[in-house]
Amino acid sequence: MTSFEEPAITRQGVDEAILSCEGLTKAFGGVNAVNGATFDVPRGKITALIGPNGAGKTTVVNILSGAMKSDSGSMRLGSTDITNWERYKIARLGLMRTFQLSRELSGLTVLENLLAAPKVQAGESLFNIFFRPRLLKREERQNIERATEILRTYGLYDLRDNRARELSGGQKKLLEISRGVMASPSLFLLDEPMAGVNPALIERIGGYILDMKAQGVTVLMIEHNLNIVEKICDNVIVLAEGRTLATGRLSDLRNNPEVVQAYLGEVINAGTGH
Amino acid sequence: MSAFWYYVFTLVFFLFDYFILAMGLNIQYGETGILNFAYIAFVALGAYVTGAVSMPNSVGTGQQYIFGWGIPFPFNLIMGGVAAMVLAFVVALITLRRLRTDYLAMVLISLSLVFYDIVNNYVRLFNGADGLYNVPEPMSGVFHLTLNAFVPFFALVTGAVALILWGVMSRITRSPLGRTFRAIRDDPDVAAALGKGVFRYQLTSMLIGSFYAGVGGGLLIQFGGSFNPTAWLPGETFVVFAVIIVGGVGNNVGLLMGALLVETLLIHLPAFLPNIPGHPGLIEYIDTMVVGVVLMLMLWFRPQGVVPERLRRFPQPAGELANRDGHSVAPPEQSHYVAAITTDDSEPKDAQ
Repeated sequence: MTSFEEPAITRQGVDEAILSCEGLTKAFGGVNAVNGATFDVPRGKITALIGPNGAGKTTVVNILSGAMKSDSGSMRLGSTDITNWERYKIARLGLMRTFQLSRELSGLTVLENLLAAPKVQAGESLFNIFFRPRLLKREERQNIERATEILRTYGLYDLRDNRARELSGGQKKLLEISRGVMASPSLFLLDEPMAGVNPALIERIGGYILDMKAQGVTVLMIEHNLNIVEKICDNVIVLAEGRTLATGRLSDLRNNPEVVQAYLGEVINAGTGH
Repeated sequence: MSAFWYYVFTLVFFLFDYFILAMGLNIQYGETGILNFAYIAFVALGAYVTGAVSMPNSVGTGQQYIFGWGIPFPFNLIMGGVAAMVLAFVVALITLRRLRTDYLAMVLISLSLVFYDIVNNYVRLFNGADGLYNVPEPMSGVFHLTLNAFVPFFALVTGAVALILWGVMSRITRSPLGRTFRAIRDDPDVAAALGKGVFRYQLTSMLIGSFYAGVGGGLLIQFGGSFNPTAWLPGETFVVFAVIIVGGVGNNVGLLMGALLVETLLIHLPAFLPNIPGHPGLIEYIDTMVVGVVLMLMLWFRPQGVVPERLRRFPQPAGELANRDGHSVAPPEQSHYVAAITTDDSEPKDAQ
């Protein structure tokens, strides 16, 4: 075991926040899916977003990534207020995400999935396509080299020319994460990256997330596997009924009666707490 | 020139013209996933504008139409393409931001019907239901072409235009821009999450495709010398869809094959067959039915088309270790941190 860095615990902690949310709300009809969620995500750390089913975790990630607009509240990415910005503008600021159910670009090859990821490419301009072919060639060569390196790291290199739709569930998870890495995120939102994958792959994905952290990427991940949360996450945000219930290290939160009642007790009783 | 060769060159013209139209619809639907059920309206606008700008002033022609500037080929053709782009810009602003897939398709086919009614009833625009006729044959005066000579000449001109547009389209679809179009086609949410401004790229695709539609329409009116609303009934859009679905969505070679099979062999070749005794015009209806049946069979048994979209492979970076099969001989690298979180001594395995 490596020794993990001391976590950034609370909203009042000393670590600089890369993402700050204040009073986010989102209702669907009469159901308040998110009901005043307020939290900070410390820069350069791995933070887990946990909570019972229906707590509003995925809705929060959807709001943060711009896939949904919040009814009220605000959020800042670094020093920029990104409240209800369009998705692609948020992504261009460096916030990438994965989806609960893997969403690959199915008709593209594995390599093309990665090549599509860099946020702004000179080759996406009609002018450059016809009048700056050398620039395109150079950029494409650099992107292919980087994508190849990432695919090798994630064990997908031999599948690079396969269509993404042909991959298995676990391979799709890896593809989605590696695609996000290719986009050079500053903040990476992972929606249940370990869900539905075998234990060996869970370990590998956990390792990749630690790699990201080592490279300066901040990670916010929704995860139910508390074993992995305890091992790789510096900080935990507990969400229940759309509200932030507590933040801190998981080992500390295990003694928090509210958290135990709302989530941990349920997990432990269900025997899935590992 | 014998009647046989006249027919052959007529078929050659339609082959190339529908190849152009298919390329335009393919970049919208096959590459970007925009179900443009109004495509024929853009073709029609291109045809009308090309005709109206190339004809002389309408006074004394017995027709009513706007423009009448006597602009020669190929500038009239370019103006037809640009007019279709302008219409596409307006339509995209109305529809693309908020609508997707089937809803977008419904709105577009409705807009096509609205446009059809306007052109059909507002006579001062493009001569209403009579349409434009006596459109000058391009370059006939320059080369002193007879009607018989004009047909093969213009079929070859259309072939040259198709070749140029094929080169342009290939360059676009092989570029990172083409890849982004396909990413949006596969999943616009994922593309947006990767920082792609989906509307901007869809708009770009609409404009490019509409230019091709307008040029294809412009060539049609110049070849036939006339164009009226019976030539672009909204259902004609589905003939172009049949071309790209039969040929192969997302593959330019497939589009040429689709234009050959559907437009040339199934639709225009039977038009030259003798009428069935006692049933004049029946062949036209039968070949429309045959196109429908072929379309259904293709969707059922070979949805990827005759020539499927090809995999885009890239050369391996320099220094890449590869065995004879082209696979890497180096094992996948493991995370530096896997050991830190491994709960037992077993080696991490590949993804299942």
